[in-house]
Amino acid sequence: FLGAGGGNDIQWCFSQVKGAVDDDVAEADIISTVEFNHSGELLATGDKGGRVVIFQQEQENKTQSHSRGEYNVYSTFQSHEPEFDYLKSLEIEEKINKIRWLPQKNAAQFLLSTNDKTIKLWKISERDKRPEGYNLKEEDGRYRDPTTVTTLRVPVFRPMDLMVEASPRRIFANAHTYHINSISINSDYETYLSADDLRINLWHLEITDRSFNIVDIKPANMEELTEVITAAEFHPNSCNTFVYSSSKGTIRLCDMRASALCDRHSKLFEEPEDPSNRSFFSEIISSISDVKFSHSGRYMMTRDYLSVKIWDLNMENRPVETYQVHEYLRSKLCSLYENDCIFDKFECCWNGSDRQRYFLPSPPCSIVMTGSYNNFFRMFDRNTKRDITLEASRENNKPRTVLKPRKVCASGKRKKDEISVDSLDFNKKILHTAWHPKENIIAVATTNNLYIFQDKMN
Amino acid sequence: MLGKGGKRKFDEHEDGLEGKVVSPTDGPSKVSYTLQRQTIFNISLMKLYNHRPLTEPSLQKTVLINNMLRRIQEELKQEGSLRPVFVTASQPADPLSDNFREAQPAFSHLASQPLLPTDFVSTTPLESCLTPASLLEDDTFCTSPTVQHDGPTKPPPPALQTVKDSFSSALDEIEELCPAPTSAEAVAAETAADDSKDHPSESNVQKPEGFPESRTAESKLMDSLPGNFEITTSTGFLTDLTLDDILFADIDTSMYDFDPCTSATGAASKMAPVSADELLKTLAPYSSQPVTPNQPFKMDLTELDHIMEVLVGS
Repeated sequence: FLGAGGGNDIQWCFSQVKGAVDDDVAEADIISTVEFNHSGELLATGDKGGRVVIFQQEQENKTQSHSRGEYNVYSTFQSHEPEFDYLKSLEIEEKINKIRWLPQKNAAQFLLSTNDKTIKLWKISERDKRPEGYNLKEEDGRYRDPTTVTTLRVPVFRPMDLMVEASPRRIFANAHTYHINSISINSDYETYLSADDLRINLWHLEITDRSFNIVDIKPANMEELTEVITAAEFHPNSCNTFVYSSSKGTIRLCDMRASALCDRHSKLFEEPEDPSNRSFFSEIISSISDVKFSHSGRYMMTRDYLSVKIWDLNMENRPVETYQVHEYLRSKLCSLYENDCIFDKFECCWNGSDRQRYFLPSPPCSIVMTGSYNNFFRMFDRNTKRDITLEASRENNKPRTVLKPRKVCASGKRKKDEISVDSLDFNKKILHTAWHPKENIIAVATTNNLYIFQDKMN
Repeated sequence: MLGKGGKRKFDEHEDGLEGKVVSPTDGPSKVSYTLQRQTIFNISLMKLYNHRPLTEPSLQKTVLINNMLRRIQEELKQEGSLRPVFVTASQPADPLSDNFREAQPAFSHLASQPLLPTDFVSTTPLESCLTPASLLEDDTFCTSPTVQHDGPTKPPPPALQTVKDSFSSALDEIEELCPAPTSAEAVAAETAADDSKDHPSESNVQKPEGFPESRTAESKLMDSLPGNFEITTSTGFLTDLTLDDILFADIDTSMYDFDPCTSATGAASKMAPVSADELLKTLAPYSSQPVTPNQPFKMDLTELDHIMEVLVGS
């Protein structure tokens, strides 16, 4: 695995951890999504209780280049509430499945957040001034007796303590029969898609009362249903192109110019099954849990249960690179099926472009990161072909100390400092990770804590 | 599921089934392959039917488990170890009544022995029987996005099974509370219960304990799979119910007719009034809802409503 030191290798250090300390996890605090905004200044998390918490990076001290700014709470709001579907006698969870930021156009920030059924556009704005000196009102809001007004003055804005307000600007509801798993904003910044298990809808950000259905894989007879949509994303540059992944391990690329309903794909990406690895669980572990385009749009990355695959959009019959995340679990699939862990949906992300501060920057999309069990997360360097396993744990919380690489021992003699597969804690899973778009700062979510790591600055 | 923060230890039972899966054609490892397949099949059924979430279950998970079951069934079919014998699984227009039509033959096969495959004749093709139609329902309305039962937790049949069972168990308790006998039902139930107790081994979907004759076992397995998967589940997997409770279904289905106009059966009308609290107490142990570590136990209010309707009988 990636050793400490050596050339351009990033050395990761603990920076911050957010969230409750105690082991007793409140269900509502379980983090369900993590996303940096386009500048990286803001970091949003969504949780099972329907709340969104946004952290803001402090302005860096220009003189002191030893540490990047810390992230502090900027805004917290309740995005979604639990609802009840009376027709089916079932609850609709308020859990935030995904958050996606819009690029900033003015002073306010906008993000889309979604639960299983409803997408909301939130405006987050700052207020640091307020008008004072009204003629007809006192400062506390009470109306003045008009007969006491003898002179007129012009109200002026005076500074006040910063207040960050979040208000829902659009609510996109009632368009999904099944559970929404993805939202993706188009490169035109006017439209976005939302995908559930069987359908994908195209929305305009300004229009809430209708959406266009662009993919529908629901069979006429539900008994014939064998495959569902698991993730979808717009191409970063072509506003007519998007991809969606399935539970059978396929990715379909669709062009909206071809037809109104993109049921017929333009490209189908699928790797033939390796016959030597066949098992009862082959289909389940091939189910893709996340798909992410590279910044250029030339490549896309998919995550299935055991691996991360990089695909070249020009080659449909197999991925160009495959990285094994935790191959040692392959012999444990039956137990993981029994305890449902095999259905865990891990996400993956690319590194951003490192600012040209250091003499050896990492090119963008040269490193991929994804989570695993036991609060481990993994990174793969596509250029050096080296990988590293790190742990998100409060035990390592000394800032500026380099994280120690971890190793899982699959079988046989366990070396010192290695962990055996049977000792892994499958309750501690890292499903959500995010990489700052411009710097080597990563956000890693354990069950209810958010860890922020930075690279060691020399 | 897993303890909070506790390291998970693998079941010793499971250990024997892990490891590389062998192809079914390997001679000596065929038994372990069959064993693994059997286990996975059972686990899959349990996942689909033992879970009563308050929120809609994940369609992806349901589809994947369903595919697993289908694949195993296909394999079994291809291995030719079963003959296509099933109870007729016609699509129910009225899911309630159909369950009971199917319930009786399915349960009666438990009481009789030995099991003869030729006792049942199937008129439906194998494929439609294999497809657990009850798992994945059609949209009933095109325009309304909310009417959709996905997965096995659609309220009527499983709730009905549970209601039947908890009701009949509750009936037991209530009868103890009040002296009015429901003689016909009680006697019939006892004889049926006796029969079933003599043949506990007929419950053939419980944990696999060695298969001396894998062929018979698998044919039994397939026989217990009518098109309606709920039957199988209720015999094997609702472990907090005794076989007695389930066999009450055989006795008098008029008791379970929830039409308020016709539910005034002899049994119901003879019962002494029971307070809702007492009923809740008697019902609590019979709910099949598993207690998950993170969620408190909750009574399904729709079940209670159904039961109360029947009890009130008007």
